[in-house]
Amino acid sequence: MKNTLPQPKSIADAPDCLLPAACCPLMCHLVLGYPSLAESLRTAEAYIAAGCEILELQIPFSHPTADGPLITEACRHAVEKNGVDIEACLDLVAEIRRRHPQQNIVLMSYLNPLFVFGLEKTAEKLLALDIHYLIVPDLPVDSPQAALLGPLQDDNDPIRDDKGLKLIPVLGANISDQRLEKLLASGFDFFYLMSDFKITGATFSLHPRLNAIISRLHAAGARCGIGFGISTPQQAKLAVEACGLAIVGSAFIQARNENRLQKCLSEWQNAFIVES
Amino acid sequence: MQPTSYRHTILQSSGYFGPYGGTYVPEVLLPALENIAKGFDEARQDPAFLAELDHELRHFNGRETPLTPLPRLTTQLGGAQIALKNEGLNHTGAHKINHCIGQALLARRLGKKRIIAETGAGQHGYATAAVCARYGLDCTVYMGRKDYERQRPNVYWMELLGATVVPVEDGAQTLNDAVIAAFKDWVTHPEETYYLLGSAVGPHPYPQMNTFFQKIVGEEIRRQSLDQYGKLPHTMLACVGGGSNAMGMFFDLLDEPNVQLIGVEAGGKGAKPGEHASKLLGGKAGIFEGYHSYFLQENGGNIAATHSVSAGLDYCGVSPILAWLADEKRIQFAAATDAEALAAVQTLARTEGIIPALESAHAFAHAFKLAPNLSPDQLIVVNASGRGEKDLFITMRHFQEESLTAYAKHLLSGQQAAGSGQRSQQSAVDSRQSAVVYGH
Ligand SMILES: Cc1ncc(COP(=O)(O)O)c(C=O)c1O
Repeated sequence: MKNTLPQPKSIADAPDCLLPAACCPLMCHLVLGYPSLAESLRTAEAYIAAGCEILELQIPFSHPTADGPLITEACRHAVEKNGVDIEACLDLVAEIRRRHPQQNIVLMSYLNPLFVFGLEKTAEKLLALDIHYLIVPDLPVDSPQAALLGPLQDDNDPIRDDKGLKLIPVLGANISDQRLEKLLASGFDFFYLMSDFKITGATFSLHPRLNAIISRLHAAGARCGIGFGISTPQQAKLAVEACGLAIVGSAFIQARNENRLQKCLSEWQNAFIVES
Repeated sequence: MQPTSYRHTILQSSGYFGPYGGTYVPEVLLPALENIAKGFDEARQDPAFLAELDHELRHFNGRETPLTPLPRLTTQLGGAQIALKNEGLNHTGAHKINHCIGQALLARRLGKKRIIAETGAGQHGYATAAVCARYGLDCTVYMGRKDYERQRPNVYWMELLGATVVPVEDGAQTLNDAVIAAFKDWVTHPEETYYLLGSAVGPHPYPQMNTFFQKIVGEEIRRQSLDQYGKLPHTMLACVGGGSNAMGMFFDLLDEPNVQLIGVEAGGKGAKPGEHASKLLGGKAGIFEGYHSYFLQENGGNIAATHSVSAGLDYCGVSPILAWLADEKRIQFAAATDAEALAAVQTLARTEGIIPALESAHAFAHAFKLAPNLSPDQLIVVNASGRGEKDLFITMRHFQEESLTAYAKHLLSGQQAAGSGQRSQQSAVDSRQSAVVYGH
């Protein structure tokens, strides 16, 4: 078997970037603790078994302000029904890491649970689990609170400490050139692109302005993925053709809710992998 | 150490008030917020903008609003002199329109044609719908389903004014959920839409901007108090939901150390989690909905449920400026319960002929406790942030449940309501309750 698409670049500078042979250029999202801690562990393993390149683990929050109904419901279920908190999530992440030392893992959380837990402490815990990338949708990556996660690179010091924790900026097509240059100069090297102006789980479309942003990111040696609304392998392929990585969340939650996750994952896997 | 001037610090701030405030939003909203912040900075220094604002505040909104002495209440409470600032006499019935006019003029100046807003009590939504109609802007208002039902008269007014009111079915279906729905709309249309946020909360520049547009309330109080009483108030009280009417009333007097400022939060049914909306008294520091402040929280940073009989106070967060001034001990905070607020509505109605909004009634309830302990040469001013007509179905259910039921039947059947106009037993009980408040 071989990957028909250009070999994905590893997440720049991350030490845990070895890819399994049948790797799919997908970042697969799940909500920790949904529908239970044990079940979310099984989902993570199903993603890994299907060759998902990067696992995106979301810490559930009572009021996810940028998510659509499926992820909101999943978060609420984890928080309200299962009482899942950040400590329980980190224990589960530790277990996933123990079982899959080579897997690329990024963590996703809204700001308040991390703020209450302590941003410095969050960084410390994640680095100890060999996790180097974090998505916080409501934290501008250059705000004072973001600095608590670790220092940004300054222009004069191009070699950033490899052992640091980096935020993944979540960009829309309305990012200005100036701002994009500033983020690149600050050392951010992995970017999440919103497919269009929408919340997660909405219908898929690709904003025409994304191509220019992707070119700039790739020219600067940064990696990026496209997410929000990707619900079919065909859409994922469009995203992968555009930037090399598709980010999928709600579609897999829906499949899991309908007891067809396994089948769904093999369909997606087949779409990316052809027999050689 | 007291800074040289609270007023200066707040108006010059680039978004932080002590550690609080900030701009904690998705990257995709940063351009819109920067555009608004820059536009606001320019507008507030532009004499033409300020002249148009002043014109609209006078001739559309009906400012200034009176500082009304309350002699019968003063006598009955037997302590300080009491007066109220009647923001209920603003067009559309509450202080909210002060910042709506300001923001709508700004939106127009920025070339935005589509306005979105959240609303709890419906007063901010109603005022937004009115200014949008006046300035020819498209208007969508998000309102939690629970508030949509309990503040039904305002839903109707908004729709009559041409706004689209979207009931939010998510979560607890109150103000917090409406704010989130509005943010989701904005993320979906960040380039053409102006979010006309309705309190001194949210990311920069909203806390500062709404304080700027509301500060006329305190400026008038200063002038009226000197004219009518020859002195500044001893104590001023305002209810606190997000903090727009409180900041409006308090701002101009922040640097007068002898004027005591008290914010009154919603004590709801009691101090148990989920039964109130007192975030400065019962919340803790957090970052949510774009800003760092005090929030009601549970289990490691999740946002807790809130309760208040008044939809406008039934919200989990509070202005970052108030959070800072609370830490600075410049403003004190207290709480009044649902029952105390309901009783205060009736007391003010019967003693002074003024029906306050349930939100504002919280400030009155605390003033009733305070006044007997002060002396007649001391003046208390209470912010009547809104009038009570919007609460028709809440207060009527409470005071005259039978006649409400009869009226509902009458509307359905087209027949004469039986027993309308009769005072129910419930209302007699509440008269006794308000007498208890007098007794403090
Ligand atoms: C009459 C009235 N007063 C007070 C409030 C509470 O808001 P804020 O604390 O921003 O003044 C509301 C909110 O809807 C209101 O309608």
